[in-house]
Amino acid sequence: MAWIAEDRRQEQVTKGEPLLTEEMKSHLREKYFPRYPTKRAVLLPALHHVQHEYGWIPTQALQEIAEFLELAPAEVLDTASFYEEYWLKPKGKYLVQVCRSLSCEICDSRKLTDHVMKKYGIDVGETSADGRLTLVELECLGACGTAPVAGINDTLHEELTVEKLQQIIDGLPEDPHDYKDPTINFAEANGH
Amino acid sequence: MAFTEPVLTKRIPLDPSKRHAVWYDEYEATGGYAQLRRALEMTPADIIKTVTDSGLRGRGGAGFSAGQKWSFIPKEKKGPHYMAVNADESEPGTFKDRYLIDYDPHLMLEGIAISCIATQCDIAYIFIRGEYHREAKVLEKALQEAYAKGVFGQNGTFGSKHKIECYVHRGAGAYICGEETGLLEALEGKRGWPRNKPPFPAIAGAFAKPTVINNVETLCCVPPIMEKGPQWFKSMGTPSSPGPKLFGMSGHVNKPGVYEDELGITLDYAINKLAGGMKGGRYKGSICGGISMGVLGPNQLDIKLDFDDVRFRGGCLGLGTAGMIVMNEHTDMVRALRNCVRFYSHESCGQCTPCREGSAWMRKILDRIVDGLGRARDLEMLMELEKTMGIMPGTTICGLADGTAWATRTFINKYYEEFAARCPEDSQRTVPLTVIKRGNALPTTPMGSNTRV
Ligand SMILES: Cc1cc2nc3c(=O)[nH]c(=O)nc-3n(C[C@H](O)[C@H](O)[C@H](O)COP(=O)(O)O)c2cc1C
Ligand code: SF4
Repeated sequence: MAWIAEDRRQEQVTKGEPLLTEEMKSHLREKYFPRYPTKRAVLLPALHHVQHEYGWIPTQALQEIAEFLELAPAEVLDTASFYEEYWLKPKGKYLVQVCRSLSCEICDSRKLTDHVMKKYGIDVGETSADGRLTLVELECLGACGTAPVAGINDTLHEELTVEKLQQIIDGLPEDPHDYKDPTINFAEANGH
Repeated sequence: MAFTEPVLTKRIPLDPSKRHAVWYDEYEATGGYAQLRRALEMTPADIIKTVTDSGLRGRGGAGFSAGQKWSFIPKEKKGPHYMAVNADESEPGTFKDRYLIDYDPHLMLEGIAISCIATQCDIAYIFIRGEYHREAKVLEKALQEAYAKGVFGQNGTFGSKHKIECYVHRGAGAYICGEETGLLEALEGKRGWPRNKPPFPAIAGAFAKPTVINNVETLCCVPPIMEKGPQWFKSMGTPSSPGPKLFGMSGHVNKPGVYEDELGITLDYAINKLAGGMKGGRYKGSICGGISMGVLGPNQLDIKLDFDDVRFRGGCLGLGTAGMIVMNEHTDMVRALRNCVRFYSHESCGQCTPCREGSAWMRKILDRIVDGLGRARDLEMLMELEKTMGIMPGTTICGLADGTAWATRTFINKYYEEFAARCPEDSQRTVPLTVIKRGNALPTTPMGSNTRV
């Protein structure tokens, strides 16, 4: 729902310590600036980077990115608000993303959503009281052959049942940064 | 017609437990990058001619001739040329590109390098959808290897004068970025709003420079064509749709998954031979190539799956991505269509009124019918709305709205009785102003607005 406007006039931005740290800036500068002819093209990678760090993208960070990339804050918000993956408000530590498109729906994905809703007392789009889980339903995750599927943060889980999903949720570590995709059995590249 | 052995999936075993990502050494040992070395000796025009002669048609949905598309790129280079690889696979029912990237990333990289030479591109951006976290990591790793071995980089490909850079650019969860100009906007750091054409990307694409855009599978076809020649490629498939194709089979079948065969196999063959037959009941219908293409009905099992038969005899928009969602007799077609239309109303980028408002209203009407409150007028309204949206009636910028229209049209035409029974003629039903119930809840947008559309 990329085109819903929201009234942000009431928004108060308190300025704290910079969120886009020097370290992050130099990472972006070294890795991404040489890749594109314009600075604006670094916007998506920069937003990904901030979200990865904090779990969401505070308005203060949007302003800092704008300054860093020499854009108007409105341009940054314009882009950031379009994409569903960017969270402009806090979310839980773990984002449970149940696929709801046709292949998953006819393979009973609804049961997964219903289960999480009931078990944690949350509606789609809400976060559990302890701040651990946020539940969303997404459109096709591109794994129709193993429906129903759900992503938990960066990891895709396939051929799910209610029991299997609950087991996975129960086994999530305390710190989401410790949660690694078990199918990645190779040394990750960090830039080339 | 002769499809004897796997082409695109020759390094990917059918047995899932044996599958693994093929890294550089294994790829090269099994004949990989030999065609890139050959391409370095050829002129760009020769490469383009080979690919044009093979009749390779784009595998991303539109089925446009790949060689012809490359030939639109200006021959006289006035500035940089770019290539954008479309790995934004988000069409429901489609999961073939993920399969290729997961298990044989270097095949695509070789295809990219060859097409960059053919079109004199300096930089290739692989635009991969944000949800493909694992695949982005596989690609980063494969790219690191490819750079280390001299496929890409400023030292020139294998020491030649062709300098190609290749980067992964991650999207952020918007289906519309699969549309080629939406993709370019996202690449430039803007919202993924498709552009009006012309100018076509071949003239002014990414950063207003000539840009080639191809799907992952299209590029994966290039090295085999270079190796075995256009005639071999044409020996598979049908005269108008040559070559091998990945079919993504999902839904109510016994063995869902990605299968490779030639274009022009029948739907019956795909379901019963490739995907192991129907599960849980008899066949009722099948989405034929991602939901945008529409649905093939109960008596259409003999339709040949190529770019033309699906369209002319099958009554669908085209073969699309050949992602089939097979449905058995217990499937509720009204709900199935509701699911499709909800997808479009959710993913519409909002630029064109017929698409944004049309799909939103169609969704509301379908919600109403699913809730048991349908009236004959609703069905008429759906069919009227459907005719007003898309590039074909000329009311929208991009083809997303055509997808909405074709899904609606084919579902209603082919399952008319089912829809009509839920929308009785003499209905005195009054409809409450808002039929909002939990089951329709949309995920909140990141902006936090919970508006239901
Ligand atoms: C709404 C819409 C969504 C699309 N999504 C994709 C996609 O996810 N992946 C893709 O390869 N092509 C997609 N396409 C097709 C592209 O616009 C384009 O035709 C294709 O990438 C060209 O590559 P090809 O010639 O190799 O097929 C989409 C088109 C439309 C209209
Ligand atoms: S047709 Fe729909 S998705 Fe395409 S540009 Fe128009 S509003 Fe956006």
